[in-house]
Amino acid sequence: MGRYIIRRLIQAIPVLLGATLLIYAIVFALPGDPIAALAGDKRLDPNIVKVLREQYHLNDPFLVQYWHYLTGLFRGDFGATFAGVPVTDIMAGKFQVTINLAGTALVMEAVIGVGLGLYAALRHGKAQDSLILAATLVLISVPTLVTGFMLQLLLGVKLKQAGIDLFPVAGVAEGLRSYLLPGFVLAGASIAYLTRLTRTSLVETLRADYIRTAVAKGLPRRRVVGRHALRNALIPLITFLGADLGTLMGGAVITEAIFNLPGIGQQLFTSVYLREQPVVVGIVTVLVLIYILANLVVDLLYAVLDPRIRYE
Amino acid sequence: MRFTKGARIAAGTALLALGLAACGSGASTGGGTASADLPVRMELGEPQKLFYPGDTSESEGAEVLAAVFAPLVDYDENKQVVNEAAESIETTDNKVWTIKLKPGYTWQDDGSAVTAQNYVDAWNYAANQDNAQSSNGFFNRIEGWADLNPGEGQTVSTKEMKGLKVVDDNTFQVTLTQPFSQFKTMLGYTAFYPLPSSAFGDDGKITETYAKQPIGQGLFKFDKPYNKGTDQTIDLTLYGKFPGKKPNFDKLQFKMYTSPETAFNDLAAGNVDVDDSLPPSAISRAKSEFGERYIDQADATIAYIGFPLQYNKTYANIKVREAISLAIDRKTIAETVFSGTRAPADDFINPLLDGYRQGACAVCTYDPARAKTEYTEANGPKTLELGYNADGPHKEWIEAVANNLRANLGVQVSVKPFEKFASILDELDQKTYGGMFRMGWAIDYPSAENYLTPVFSTVAIKTGSNYAGWSNKEFDDLLAKGDSAPTQAEGLKFYQQADDILIKELPYIPVYYYRINAAFSQNVKGVKINLLNQVEWSEVEKTV
Repeated sequence: MGRYIIRRLIQAIPVLLGATLLIYAIVFALPGDPIAALAGDKRLDPNIVKVLREQYHLNDPFLVQYWHYLTGLFRGDFGATFAGVPVTDIMAGKFQVTINLAGTALVMEAVIGVGLGLYAALRHGKAQDSLILAATLVLISVPTLVTGFMLQLLLGVKLKQAGIDLFPVAGVAEGLRSYLLPGFVLAGASIAYLTRLTRTSLVETLRADYIRTAVAKGLPRRRVVGRHALRNALIPLITFLGADLGTLMGGAVITEAIFNLPGIGQQLFTSVYLREQPVVVGIVTVLVLIYILANLVVDLLYAVLDPRIRYE
Repeated sequence: MRFTKGARIAAGTALLALGLAACGSGASTGGGTASADLPVRMELGEPQKLFYPGDTSESEGAEVLAAVFAPLVDYDENKQVVNEAAESIETTDNKVWTIKLKPGYTWQDDGSAVTAQNYVDAWNYAANQDNAQSSNGFFNRIEGWADLNPGEGQTVSTKEMKGLKVVDDNTFQVTLTQPFSQFKTMLGYTAFYPLPSSAFGDDGKITETYAKQPIGQGLFKFDKPYNKGTDQTIDLTLYGKFPGKKPNFDKLQFKMYTSPETAFNDLAAGNVDVDDSLPPSAISRAKSEFGERYIDQADATIAYIGFPLQYNKTYANIKVREAISLAIDRKTIAETVFSGTRAPADDFINPLLDGYRQGACAVCTYDPARAKTEYTEANGPKTLELGYNADGPHKEWIEAVANNLRANLGVQVSVKPFEKFASILDELDQKTYGGMFRMGWAIDYPSAENYLTPVFSTVAIKTGSNYAGWSNKEFDDLLAKGDSAPTQAEGLKFYQQADDILIKELPYIPVYYYRINAAFSQNVKGVKINLLNQVEWSEVEKTV
């Protein structure tokens, strides 16, 4: 098992290198001069532009620039923005917010998604089941932008105006409370998918022969569902959750913008816009790393759930 | 109760995630009942950089610095320049300026007096190319600027401009290379703030410590260093030893937002007190919900459509440019496309400033019949191209202009989106884009001159924003006359004559003026926004 983990981690190195090179090249290929973008609609003094281009190695060919970046990376230096702020400083603060947000979303997904799916599966074909299916369909089809602003307006603004201060409208000043609404919005579609996945997976498992055996043995229903059916049905769910963590981390741009959370999604957006290679590559590298780790954890969980799966 | 293994795993993951979510939450403020110590809170976009006054050329950072620093001059309700930190600013020839400081201004860290040397140091620093400060160009009228800017790869041999001389502790003298009657007006800009000696490190550069917690001589001081990227607020406290007019509240907080819609929602919920960038989508709601507390006033920014005259002969005929201008329905664009957050333009000088003449640009009125006749007579091109940058709110109005041109001139118009503004500028610089393009200009200092020299003078082709590449000797001469005129008022006459040439020649056509749409909560009153688009904090009162 230990050797397996180490091997997986070593495999991550070429992936990371490839990802940085690719992202660096993509940002490099974006049109527009990053220094000119700094000044907005104005034109910077040409002299200053030259000095800045020199300072940030922008006159060098692509591979030289990448080499500067890579050697810095090996020294633990992630580089700096064009405003001189170290990328590590930026990432430290922003990742904290996004991890909080994605964490809240993941918990909501797991609890609400699996809970609803379980409920629907056990009432398979009944009215409650159809109702849940319809509700999830709505959740999937309405874009985040709409649910986000709607919930913000209803539960943030209108409630506060009515004197009930339940959810903050924006920002992270209120601790966990700040993340509840954005967390739900971010998790929205995933909750729906997970509900449907849980329902289908469980319904199918409940039809399996070994479940019939368990029921025939006279085991209590709760034990049949919990111990025998759910455990097997969990495998696709864990896969989904693991892959979704990466999506949640990277895809938080809209939610972060609506709820004004200073997270990584926002940062990535502005940095791509400003063509700040070091920031974009730094963030993507960490995201890739999180993705790789999440996948590793998922694979290890398989072995826990299904004893037939063994990693030497 | 016995948990199944699966449930335990699920619960474990949940707890782990909850733990992650809980950490880093910081101090949670309560429901906001303690209104007495509640700061006045203002909406802000994230400043682009840390606070180096000479390198802060965007509005968000400037808004913060304006609360921390007192400028040499300010602008009163009649748009006139008045002294603020300056006791007097005098000149006899518009070339040599003597600036005397008002006593009583002190640095917020150690309470020591602000000296003339502090100004000279700050200006020399900003003007030195080695420091790559974005406001470097503001000093190019001062004698000796060229020595500090020898060009790329060249070493800067001196650290001082010879045009700056300290006379005594409270007085310094500025010598310009050419007379410039508007120099005094410039001095309200961020780049001209002084710097305390503690701002500079051993290497002579401004330290990062200073840039995180700038020390000024103005109304408010920073409570703690600002960590860019992490902090969502900038907290300030009234500086007790500030000699000027003080407001009736102690705490000022800037709250940073990325979405104007979100900021407006927070304003509606009472979590923000001042919001000066309402989104067009919120205007009708703001009007009805805020009533008296809704502000709609002119903003000094202009939007144009430009012609690449330098290298494309298609638009060489003035009649063609006139016809295009006449064919644009500015009023409908301002009122419908922008929900009234813009106003139709009728002069190259914005109505916010002295020198604006209503209706000066006769061909800026909508006259489709005349447009058609002129265009046909001038034998205008059968196809037109219109470029804009897709990263700003431009698509709708550019499409509207294109429709106007199609309908009124009977030509084919293609609209070309660019990823961002910088890509348009790149192509114009390299002379590869031949179509018309959108352009905008926000002033640096409130003078009519600022709409002319940086955008349309011959020098501005190389160093300014003259992307039309238009050059006119008479226009340049009139600017020089205005610059050396003995009084501001006389200078203005020449600037208006220069403006007349623009109206006749139309290197760009003005389309609309921006407007400031702001609103404030019931917690404050007396919110005023000045010519630099900044809130006048000394006028603001807290009502609870």
